[in-house]
Amino acid sequence: MGITRRQFLRWSGASAVGAVVFNGCRIPEEELQVESPVDLPEDLVTGIDNWYATICRQDQESCGIIVRVVEGRAKKVEGNPDYPINRGKHNARSEAGLQSLYHPDRITEPLFREGSSGEFTPISWAEAHGKIADSLRNLPDKNRFLLVTQPLRGHMALLASEFVKSYGGKHMAFETLEQVTLRRAIKDVFGQDRLPDFDIEHSKYLLSFGADFLSTWLSPVKYSRGYGELRQGAGKRGVHVQVDSRFSMTAANADEWVPVKPGGEGVLAMSMMHVIIREGLGDRVAANALTGGNGYMALDAFRPNNSEVRDATGVDASRIEGLAHAFADPANQPSLAIGGGSAGAHTSGLFNLRAIYSLNLLVNNVSQPGGIFFNPAPPLEELDSREVLDMGVPASFRDWKEMDRPQVLMVRGVNPVHGLPPDANFTTAVENADFVVSFSSFMDETAAMANLIMPEHTYLEDWGDDVPDPGPRYQTLGLQQPVVRPFYPGTGSFGDEMLALGKELGLNINDSLGLSGNDSPTFQDLLKKGAEKLWMENRGSVKAATFDGFWNGILQRGGWWDTESTDKTSPAAPSILSMAWPNIAFQGPTGDDTYNLIPFLSNSIADGNLAHLPWLQAAPDPVTSMVWHTWVEINTKTAEEKGIRVGDMMEITSPNGTVKAPAYVHPAVPPWTVSMPIGQGHTTFGRYAEGVGVNTLSILAPITDVDTNALAWAATRVRIRNTGEHIDIPRFEGNVPAFEAEEGRIIKIASPR
Amino acid sequence: MQKKRVAAFMVMAVGMGLGGLVTLLLVLFVARAWWTTPFEVLGFGGAPTQPIAFPHTVHAGVDIILDADGNPKLDTSNQEMNGLGLGCTFCHRNVDKGAAASIPPVEQCIFCHKSIGTDLPEVAKLINAWDNKEAVVWERVHRLPDSVRFVHEPHIRFFTEPGNLMPSGEQATLAANVCSTCHGDVAQMEEVKQVRSLKMGDCVDCHRNYSAPTDCTTCHY
Amino acid sequence: MVNERVNHKWGMVVDIDRCTGCQACVVACQAENNIPLNTEAIFRQRRAIEWIHVERYWEGEFPDVKARFIPILCQHCENAPCEPVCPVYATYHNNQGMNVQVYNRCVGTRYCANNCSYQVRFFNYWEPVWPETLKNQLNPDVTVRSRGIMEKCSFDIQRLRKAEHVIEGQRGERITDENLREGNFLPACVQACPTTTLVFGDFNDPESQVSQMKEEHFVEGGRGYKLLEDLGTEPNVIYLKKVDIHAKTGVETHA
Repeated sequence: MGITRRQFLRWSGASAVGAVVFNGCRIPEEELQVESPVDLPEDLVTGIDNWYATICRQDQESCGIIVRVVEGRAKKVEGNPDYPINRGKHNARSEAGLQSLYHPDRITEPLFREGSSGEFTPISWAEAHGKIADSLRNLPDKNRFLLVTQPLRGHMALLASEFVKSYGGKHMAFETLEQVTLRRAIKDVFGQDRLPDFDIEHSKYLLSFGADFLSTWLSPVKYSRGYGELRQGAGKRGVHVQVDSRFSMTAANADEWVPVKPGGEGVLAMSMMHVIIREGLGDRVAANALTGGNGYMALDAFRPNNSEVRDATGVDASRIEGLAHAFADPANQPSLAIGGGSAGAHTSGLFNLRAIYSLNLLVNNVSQPGGIFFNPAPPLEELDSREVLDMGVPASFRDWKEMDRPQVLMVRGVNPVHGLPPDANFTTAVENADFVVSFSSFMDETAAMANLIMPEHTYLEDWGDDVPDPGPRYQTLGLQQPVVRPFYPGTGSFGDEMLALGKELGLNINDSLGLSGNDSPTFQDLLKKGAEKLWMENRGSVKAATFDGFWNGILQRGGWWDTESTDKTSPAAPSILSMAWPNIAFQGPTGDDTYNLIPFLSNSIADGNLAHLPWLQAAPDPVTSMVWHTWVEINTKTAEEKGIRVGDMMEITSPNGTVKAPAYVHPAVPPWTVSMPIGQGHTTFGRYAEGVGVNTLSILAPITDVDTNALAWAATRVRIRNTGEHIDIPRFEGNVPAFEAEEGRIIKIASPR
Repeated sequence: MQKKRVAAFMVMAVGMGLGGLVTLLLVLFVARAWWTTPFEVLGFGGAPTQPIAFPHTVHAGVDIILDADGNPKLDTSNQEMNGLGLGCTFCHRNVDKGAAASIPPVEQCIFCHKSIGTDLPEVAKLINAWDNKEAVVWERVHRLPDSVRFVHEPHIRFFTEPGNLMPSGEQATLAANVCSTCHGDVAQMEEVKQVRSLKMGDCVDCHRNYSAPTDCTTCHY
Repeated sequence: MVNERVNHKWGMVVDIDRCTGCQACVVACQAENNIPLNTEAIFRQRRAIEWIHVERYWEGEFPDVKARFIPILCQHCENAPCEPVCPVYATYHNNQGMNVQVYNRCVGTRYCANNCSYQVRFFNYWEPVWPETLKNQLNPDVTVRSRGIMEKCSFDIQRLRKAEHVIEGQRGERITDENLREGNFLPACVQACPTTTLVFGDFNDPESQVSQMKEEHFVEGGRGYKLLEDLGTEPNVIYLKKVDIHAKTGVETHA
């Protein structure tokens, strides 16, 4: 043949018109080639799947996952069937971790700039490391160093606590809608430092106050798994009642939804307690302890027919009595009461949650199937110290507001500039700091204000471990391993960097971590050190004759756990409840067109740290089917009265500012509230997050729980105004043409057997 | 009257002209779709020029190796050189395990070529790639369209099972015996080229002969 | 071996009493099947592609209001309305109980989508676009559909084919619920679903969970039903009714 294929292609491609018109017909050049890689580890063989067990870091639940890797590229996430938290199940958020790994807007190498404005210029990791070391070395007052991370657990918590202990300064854990109040309530009611395990699976009557446990609350995959069994597992079908000031996804699934007035959850629980104790339905010992021996009379203010109770809760006396009877009914045992989310996000948050969890004492369900199980201490002694455990406890709103202004600020894995309401003054703290280092993989709002960005590996490229909190009732150590090699050569590991800094600054953290003798230890070495101790204990899910065998075993199974190691401590005796009427206060306008604003974590993008992932932006909100936006939910009847249609742009004004969002009208919004998802409104966070929606957190009033100083994020009141603008809102609803169908054609209903 | 007829005629002429143009464009469109598909891919035409002239004859063949002039090549002790007779699966290791037969990594070539044939210019290219840690990018010889999910493994498994004779009438005992059914006698090819059309009719004929499934989703999904 | 091939009849049971509407199945499906990114603009055009999607139905007014969720996917009808209208035979019923879509045959008439009673067929109005880096995630076992092609749920046939090769071919065993689960051969939505709403299996295997559920629930007063049953499409996806404690005992209410 006279001409080669390449020449022929070039020749035919020369015709410009042809190139435009017929472009779709050509096979891309790279598809006509096949590569001999330089070397080929066994696990990179063409067309062969490899599955690696690791841990998902998309949310705090940290599910065990297995990742399908083909030719060195991660392709699919599945649940790890062995892992005790999620047992093979997972959720939309963990699925989308792959898009974080292969996101087109990842920061690929360290970026530096002098001062807080101006252009970032790429530098090498070694140079960047030098700059951090210098800034820390030259800091005159070491206490003006601040490390901000997500709540840390496992060996990362140990490393961070050792670093702060030997260098100085402070660590603060950031969680957007923090669970500070919940942790206090668990401590007060049960005397537990760790969050307990709720046995939803075996419960027959599940009463949840404000906890969106099927979507975002604490450990949603585990709870969802249990929930399926509660519904249609063995035995009688359990009943789920949701007391919630918002029609959340969880409320939508409940057999019964009790639309309580915001902040009235605690009063409702106290009132139920009044009924249970008065009628002698529950455990009398607990009743005596809770009331200080005074019986139901001590709770007289909370009697259901008191008009104040009705005003605070918006629930009739007969319904409260019905709930109390059902909860304590022997036929409904084991029953379980859980609370959190918006129920704990009021000025009376701690009062509410204490009252809610105390209900459990009346039905005596602690350590009973279908009830509450306490979690044991972490499997390794060094992970159990106060300092290490504190790394996992988020700072309260007051802590942020009153923190000492840091001179050197290091931020890892969180975005407080976006996630803290403006009144926390975090942005000012960042602006005033001399040197700000961000370990973000993406140019988020906090990273954009930094002097130095050291892009971290994503969790699929890095080592780590996790002590789940809440745990699965027994000691568990999940292991995170790199399932693929780092996609960009310029990214690094946060753990390795902290160890290197410790060495460079002459802190003796290597010794205190048991890594002495190792010149340049890595975070993996630290994990191995911990694993070695577990191996020597010779118990639990993996036992082996050699340490290598043990290490391979826990890598393969995604971690280590010992089902025998349940909590053996007996629960503390119940303490007397506070009987004083709670102070339920709100901040914001009252009168016409004003409502309680109930913000909520999005089922897909959570608090916004996942807003950069297109799969999650495009995953419809379960209740409204909204995508790619922030919307405001308004009751159908209210909307009719005010002439508001779906897609009308509303102005939502609180004492702290105004945002604009389209209305979504549905029948299940309590007429006295409006609600909005949080997490959008990013000004910088990659192409899929920027310019999408508004930041709901920016209008929250700085009102806090009176006991714990946590942000009372459900206690803001807002005025809404129809701007007259109208947009076509993006949602899945209506995507497939809806035809008028006769009633009951699609979803058929059966009565319980 | 006359005017109207002329007008109608004009409309017709223009219409036909446009129609003809559209038809011509369509013909061109289809023709180019076919013709820009490389000849090798269509199953005819020569062998592509590879970045390293890898002779399957030397590695897989057993016959006496001839040089460009047709004379037998001699080794250092003036003996005629035979092909090594390596089985296909020596390099294409994955063929009986998964979808792709797999191309060997440079490392595997180097196992031998760090000491063998280091003076040959083509081997020098290989060593160069190894030293620079560069992948060798071959021109693909066999390529199926994106809509086809061909998996080697079940084909090899079927023909190596006792009793299932290959179209050649032989019983394959090793995976390496099966390859030539579709790929031709690669061991005899100085430069590898595609010998069968490997178009759908080709696949389906064979599937029918062996009562293999002919459901579309056997290959298309 | 080939002539002794086991005849499967794949199908699914969807227990809507378990479904919480969490969207795990939706995202799992997008990850497994190379579904184009559903951008905001695509949603506005009402052209989003979700092979499985969760529909939400309202019932009543505040405060006695209920929302009900139901996952809808291709029903793999035995008597599918989409099949006879395809002029090029690109969609047909195969011998494993599946309604299949052959991309390379499809010419994009969209007749099938118009005729589908369940609205589960999706058309690629545009060439799918991924940023270069995100292409690394694409599943090599699934064809990337180009513009002008109809697509829909395939029961993740790529995984079933692999299961046939590995379990039946290489190991010479029967495909069971257990070895499908162990090998990650179940459809992605089924594996992800945290509440076990979706159960997948072989209706021809009497031991399989789907067969047993069908037997248990398709009795007088049982919860089993088929979607839009009166159309006579005979789906291979069967649904179990939502249980409502407020439904009058013994009487079936149509909500």
